[in-house]
Amino acid sequence: MNDYVLQAEDVAIHYGGVKALDGVSLTLARGQIRGLIGPNGAGKSTVIDAITGRRRLTRGSVHLGGQDVTTLGVVERRARGLSRSFQRTSIFGQMRVRRQVELAAHSMNPQGCVADAEAVLQELELLPRADDVAEDLGYGEQRRLDLALALVGRPTVLLLDEPMAGLSVKESLDLARHLKALTQRWNVSVLLVEHDMDVVFGISDAVTVFELGRVIASGEPAAVRADPRVREAYLGSAA
Amino acid sequence: MTIFRIGLGAACALAVGGAVAALVGSGTVLSLLTQAVVYAVFASGVGLLLKQNGMVSFGHALYFGVSGYAMGIALELGWMPAELAVVATLAAVAVSAFVVGLVIVRVPGVAFSMMTLAIGQMFYLTASRSRGLTGGADGMNVNWPATLFGVPQSLLHQPAVLFLVCWCAMVLVVLGLGLLLRGRFGSVTEAVRDNEERARFIGVRTLLPRAAIYALSATIAALAGMLSVLNTGFISPEALHWSVSGVALMMVVVGGYKALWGPPLGAIVYFLFKDVLGDWASHWMAIFGVALITVIVFSPTGLAGALQRLRRGRPAASAPATRPASAH
Amino acid sequence: MLTINLFNGLVYGALLIVMCSGLALIYGLRRVVNFAHGSLYMLGAYLGYSIALQSNFWVALVAAPAVMALFGVLLDRYGFRLLQDRDPLTVVLVTFGLLLVIEDFVQTVWGKSNLTVDAPAALARSVDFFGTPLPAYRIGVIVVGALVALGLTAWLRGSKAGLFVRAASTDPTTTAMQGVNTDALSAGVVGLGTALAGLAGVVAAPFLSLSPAMSSDVIIDSFVVVVVGGLGSLAGAFIAAMVLGMVQALGAVYLPALSAVLPFVIMVAVLIWKPAGFAGSRT
Repeated sequence: MNDYVLQAEDVAIHYGGVKALDGVSLTLARGQIRGLIGPNGAGKSTVIDAITGRRRLTRGSVHLGGQDVTTLGVVERRARGLSRSFQRTSIFGQMRVRRQVELAAHSMNPQGCVADAEAVLQELELLPRADDVAEDLGYGEQRRLDLALALVGRPTVLLLDEPMAGLSVKESLDLARHLKALTQRWNVSVLLVEHDMDVVFGISDAVTVFELGRVIASGEPAAVRADPRVREAYLGSAA
Repeated sequence: MTIFRIGLGAACALAVGGAVAALVGSGTVLSLLTQAVVYAVFASGVGLLLKQNGMVSFGHALYFGVSGYAMGIALELGWMPAELAVVATLAAVAVSAFVVGLVIVRVPGVAFSMMTLAIGQMFYLTASRSRGLTGGADGMNVNWPATLFGVPQSLLHQPAVLFLVCWCAMVLVVLGLGLLLRGRFGSVTEAVRDNEERARFIGVRTLLPRAAIYALSATIAALAGMLSVLNTGFISPEALHWSVSGVALMMVVVGGYKALWGPPLGAIVYFLFKDVLGDWASHWMAIFGVALITVIVFSPTGLAGALQRLRRGRPAASAPATRPASAH
Repeated sequence: MLTINLFNGLVYGALLIVMCSGLALIYGLRRVVNFAHGSLYMLGAYLGYSIALQSNFWVALVAAPAVMALFGVLLDRYGFRLLQDRDPLTVVLVTFGLLLVIEDFVQTVWGKSNLTVDAPAALARSVDFFGTPLPAYRIGVIVVGALVALGLTAWLRGSKAGLFVRAASTDPTTTAMQGVNTDALSAGVVGLGTALAGLAGVVAAPFLSLSPAMSSDVIIDSFVVVVVGGLGSLAGAFIAAMVLGMVQALGAVYLPALSAVLPFVIMVAVLIWKPAGFAGSRT
């Protein structure tokens, strides 16, 4: 078999005449960071939904570590080490920060959830706010909490949906570097959906380009950047 | 809160109850207080559902009344000793409420509340129209045996003793909930309440915990119903009426749903007010309706919330984190 | 015999259509389930009774809903509008408080005993329907129900105001941005909704007696209709209303012991299958 931690094959999601995804295939190797880019509506968030089990596939399959998870639900996939963050911050507003992160850790690692939570809170600089109620946090802190809920317990595969949304240029680059270091250290493989080109090309080992529900290019960052189809569809002359 | 502080709080509460039982001489006052405490337990059940699940039930009188009827029928038919009937009734309520919960907690937002009102009223109508053993609209007596759990009736029904029994039950309920909700079960249910979708994404199964909270809240209401028929020795369809559920809900909202001691506080305030109202008491519905509206608009976390804010000097209170009407 | 029972089912279904369309309209515009709707129905009925005492039924048929409409406009302006940013369940609790106030008001003014209202003289007779005599008044109720259903549907689909209402029900923010005065619209629609509740009350009075319990009796069935039909869906409400009307009427005759529980059974059965009702929940 193959060594990929994540493999999506010929994934399609059709509904009411719309082809949100039309035969998408992608792979993620262990320890790899793959960036997903493309115009709005190209299907990037949809493919995350497909991989996590949030939406049902019209066609295709998803494999986690060689095992077919296509028919499994969100909770089961999480149990097998698949985790995601959200583009629009999705946290537990009335719970205290530490309490919710510990809960998120529990499903990954019941025995060590307290230690795991402490570790990720420290990494994401949320320790000072650990005993506060989530809705009292500032925007940036809430984004990091969203990330913490996804990252805690060292998932095998981490899907990040525009983690830099709303952050300044400097904050974005800092977070990007930090994430890269963290995921290397914790051996987490990452699928990163992002609009910020500097971030994507800065930290990704591979890049996949979407357009209209299909993959139009995939490969090493430099190659993708130079690909004429990609430039025409998406990057324009700014690349 | 640490376990120590929770335990200390419980011990103090028990002490207060003991003092009241010992020092209050008037049987009528004790009787009134006992009623208040019974409703405090009932309100705790309703409040638990709102606090942990973010769900408003207008139909918990169902469990309150059914438990009284179950005892009445069991004692009348002599199927089993009273002690067993007590345990069996509570167990039966817990199980059946869990099954019901599995179905209805999936109903989103306000529709859930509407259903609870409908279900509760339907049982009320059925009880009112039934004839025979349950006495229909007239109700039936609940004939407790000479001793209950080893305690003779003559002792049990002294006002001070009855008050103390109910008070202890209330303290134990609040204590039990406090301890239970500190842990994982509390975390899980809070997460599901705040953000059901994200809860799934962090690996939490969302249906069973919510049904469990529903069942627990129903069982607490049933316990209150049990205490009520112990106090009065009588049960009638009125105990199943929506107004009874409504009163409990009022106590939860006015007392404050976020603190576990909020609903009991609401119950005590309600009974004190009713007493103070005197001649105006016939208009209790309008008065409490206005009180409910006022509290919701100005202090959604109720009296408990207001008191906590005063203590900590915190800014505006937040409204209940209820489940949105849409599924994602 | 069956004819009469089916007929009664139609009558009650028609009544529920009038009631529930009011509920659905208010929900559609304000995202509020008006727990006080049954009390408004009751208030309309009692007002109709008093007005009819002073003049006649026909005046009451117009005047009582008009008063209720005014009440609805005020309710929206000083209640729903001010609370529109709050959690929906918060507003529901407020309507519950309102229910308590109205119940108390009705009992204080009109007392707790049952009151009767006579059908207007013009309709106090029977019409022969293939050998079965049917009360003319009840036929009138069916007509009212049909008029409301058709009228609302035509209005919502055909008129400009109806278009605005449908738009505001789907997306209030964007509709407001398009220049539609959503506040005035909401006040109007809520007024219409409460008027419909009042109308249902006036219409119901001659064949269901007036009592303080009438609000809880009807609100249960109304909730079942709205939940089964799907919150916010008028079409769903119409269909569910007729189904429930039939079930209640037939159940009362053929399964009297179970009749109180039948709506609950139907509701649970539908909700197990479709948790958000047939037409789905509008958010």
